Amino acid sequence: MIKLKNINKTYFGAQPLHVLKGIDLDVAEGELVSIMGASGSGKSTLLNILGILDNYDEGDYYLAGKLVKNLSENQAAEFRNKLIGFIFQSFNLIPFKTALENVALPLFYQGVNRKKRNMMAMEYLERFGLKDWAEHYPNELSGGQKQRVSIARALVTSPKIILADEPTGALDSKTSAEVMQILREVNATGITMVIVTHERGIANLTRKIVHLKDGIIESIEENDPDKMDFTKEIK
Amino acid sequence: MFNRDFWSEIFMVLKRNKLRTILTGFAISWGIFMLIILLSAGNGLKNGVTSNFADRIQNTYHIWASFTELPYKGHKANRYIMLNNKDIQLLETLYQVEEVSPVLSQGGTLIFGEKSKPVSMEGVKPIYKNIEGIKMLEGRFINENDMKNKMKVVVIDNSTSNELMRINGVPTMIGKTVFINGLSFTVVGVFKGQPWGDFGQCYAPYSTAQALYNVNQYYEITFITRGLNTKEDNEAFQKELKTKLAALHEFSPDDKRAVWIDSQMVNALETNRIFNTISVFIWVIGIAMLISGVVGVSNIMRITVKERTNEIGIRKALGAKPRSILLSIVMESLVITTIFGYIGLFCGMGVMEIVNMVLKTGEVATGEGEMSVFVNPTVDIRIVAFATLVLIISGVAAGFAPAWKSVKVKPIEAMNYR
Repeated sequence: MIKLKNINKTYFGAQPLHVLKGIDLDVAEGELVSIMGASGSGKSTLLNILGILDNYDEGDYYLAGKLVKNLSENQAAEFRNKLIGFIFQSFNLIPFKTALENVALPLFYQGVNRKKRNMMAMEYLERFGLKDWAEHYPNELSGGQKQRVSIARALVTSPKIILADEPTGALDSKTSAEVMQILREVNATGITMVIVTHERGIANLTRKIVHLKDGIIESIEENDPDKMDFTKEIK
Repeated sequence: MFNRDFWSEIFMVLKRNKLRTILTGFAISWGIFMLIILLSAGNGLKNGVTSNFADRIQNTYHIWASFTELPYKGHKANRYIMLNNKDIQLLETLYQVEEVSPVLSQGGTLIFGEKSKPVSMEGVKPIYKNIEGIKMLEGRFINENDMKNKMKVVVIDNSTSNELMRINGVPTMIGKTVFINGLSFTVVGVFKGQPWGDFGQCYAPYSTAQALYNVNQYYEITFITRGLNTKEDNEAFQKELKTKLAALHEFSPDDKRAVWIDSQMVNALETNRIFNTISVFIWVIGIAMLISGVVGVSNIMRITVKERTNEIGIRKALGAKPRSILLSIVMESLVITTIFGYIGLFCGMGVMEIVNMVLKTGEVATGEGEMSVFVNPTVDIRIVAFATLVLIISGVAAGFAPAWKSVKVKPIEAMNYR
């Protein structure tokens, strides 16, 4: 599903910063992978490249068999819209739109009509127990609810992969456990998932843990989350 | 693209920032409002001035008796040149001159019943009505029959007529016999006069006046020309006429003052030129005001886009294409400028319509035919159309730069922007 070959990325500022120094990584379809590393290790940059939110300088990135390189803004937008679902630490919900409208937004950019859009969005909200909160604005929701809304938004277009950037970073341990449970369930339906985290407890719930240090992959650890009592392990 | 969702998105954003939207829009409204007021006032002034000679046919000339400026052939300067029958004969021989009406002025006293009133009586030909653009309120003007038969008929102005009717308690002056300098005249018409102090004005047939007073001196002769359509034609004709008059009265052809020649058409052309200049001036001021409004909108759009950077980043991450971002911001700006532009436009037009109404009722109330300097101060549909075009262009211009900037920023940068 994801194939990275020798990905390099440098930020050119006052002091050029070589963030990624040749990343090679394969993620098969349906896998649940976590990327771990200290801050500054390049894990967020890697995720942004995976999400086509940022470009890379060198190497090749294949997503669902297609080379993602030098895409036009339009192509990138289409890839993001059709193939990728994003979950962010800070939720990134649009504050002046209701939960329902937020979830329906990616479908708006697919040109789905309003009625069908809202119906589909409602279906996903219902799946995550947010039916009664559909008409609420993000500032009226708790952190866990907001993250569930953003998961619904990530899923509404039926993407091939879900990219989650510290999905539990802003949540307490109990809600974190709930959100992770949801993400595992989503993965169980066959959607590939990449989670960036710096928490071991979260990484332990994934099947493959990629350790990133100073812009290179230090090690890839196979893991069996079913052995873990995740409610205890987390945090 | 431009479906209901698209518009509801835009109006949602505008509604979310009501105060900002209104303040921004106000600059545009004000700009258009002032442009319309200025243009209307300019139009009103132009209409007012031109309406004062709109009823006269434009190819008319007046020549007036005057003092010479230069000494000539033994004559001293400052000699008074009176016009006489030879001038009339001269004019009638010129092929550019179609018809002549001398003005035979005679002061006197008009008596009707109990009332006596000082009047200035002018013996004129029927064509004089067209030359001066005289408006008849009742009855008729002098006609050819009066001329031929030297009828003792007279046309009086409306304020004299009203005064005589009031004092003598008669419903109309038409058909009444009045005495002017002791001679009886029948009133055949009432015209709309200009206020002239206590003096009444009246017109009698030129032939009658000539027979009664046997005058061979005129202060003023008027005539209609033919075939003189441009300023150059008129200037050439004036030069020719001046030379001939100079020979007749023995004054220098270069004398600028002796015998004044005044062309209605040259005056009209000159007036038009002045108003065109004024109108250019008004446009420049108006457009400058509008530009300041547009700069305001552009500035606010920049801030709006900056504030919405995060949101735009999220939208991009969710698959918004650059075109949709660009369009939504440009359209937002366009919606502000057109809506508030039209508010300003209609306010301006409304104010000027009210002014127009007040002017009109004022005219009816006074009833007197005073000189109006302000007539129909409104703008026409072409200006409204033009203003719409200006608004659309300025709206797009105001929104485009900030929109383009937001399109260029990378989604991840936009999302991390704080």
